[in-house]
Amino acid sequence: MSTQTAENLNIINNEDQLRADMYSFLANLLRAEPSAELVNQLTKLESDESPIGKSIKTLSKLASSLDLPTIRDEYVRIFIGVGRGEILPFASYYLTGFLKDKPLAKLRNDMKEIGIQLAENVKEPEDHIASLFDMMSGLILGKFSKKFSIGEQKDFFNKHLAPWVDLLMRDIESSRIAVFYSPIGTIGREFMEIERSSFSMDVTG
Amino acid sequence: MKIDKSKNTRREFLRGAAVTAASVTVAATVSKTASASDTMNTTGSGYQKTKHVKTYYETARF
Repeated sequence: MSTQTAENLNIINNEDQLRADMYSFLANLLRAEPSAELVNQLTKLESDESPIGKSIKTLSKLASSLDLPTIRDEYVRIFIGVGRGEILPFASYYLTGFLKDKPLAKLRNDMKEIGIQLAENVKEPEDHIASLFDMMSGLILGKFSKKFSIGEQKDFFNKHLAPWVDLLMRDIESSRIAVFYSPIGTIGREFMEIERSSFSMDVTG
Repeated sequence: MKIDKSKNTRREFLRGAAVTAASVTVAATVSKTASASDTMNTTGSGYQKTKHVKTYYETARF
């Protein structure tokens, strides 16, 4: 039993590794103002002519042309603001109009079942988009109690992301403030569409 | 080995989807910034494993 479980933790096929990477990539970009290192990495991204690829190219160019304080300031104005930001990227807010409402309680229950909790240094509630993307990445890679099957990933996605994530990504894409974050919204929207389609193909995991 | 046809279809779809090409370079960024893979650890900014999970890891180790 333990041997088999250990194997499951290690065997991640290439496609799923890439999905996990994309979730982590977006989580990094949406979690907080980017570090100089992260922006520098973005300048080196290569991409193809796909919709995601084109947005990555745009993002990469912006990472080269905008200075770091401008980018960091844009993050603050969109997601934090004075009092409140333009966009509140929390599941509960998008689904109910209130922060820390029922959707957060449901998420906390599921997190308890998975065996994870917020680190003490994190101030935002768990249903922040970056946290949910981190969780998806962790579920795919088996970083928690086990590797979660496609069916289990789909359940988590459908419950905690699908009902609102597209709207959020569209809001980021079309934010009046967003320059740097606009292509990130596009990448997120396109990626979520791919996830949705792939989950509709296979629930057997 | 049992071949799961629906699983192959899903993987084929993902392979053909834009995410694959884009993700190759994205992956490099993720691994270099390291924060993504660290968020789930006790030292990361995102989550820490609960005691239950830590215990699991200890019992699963050989």
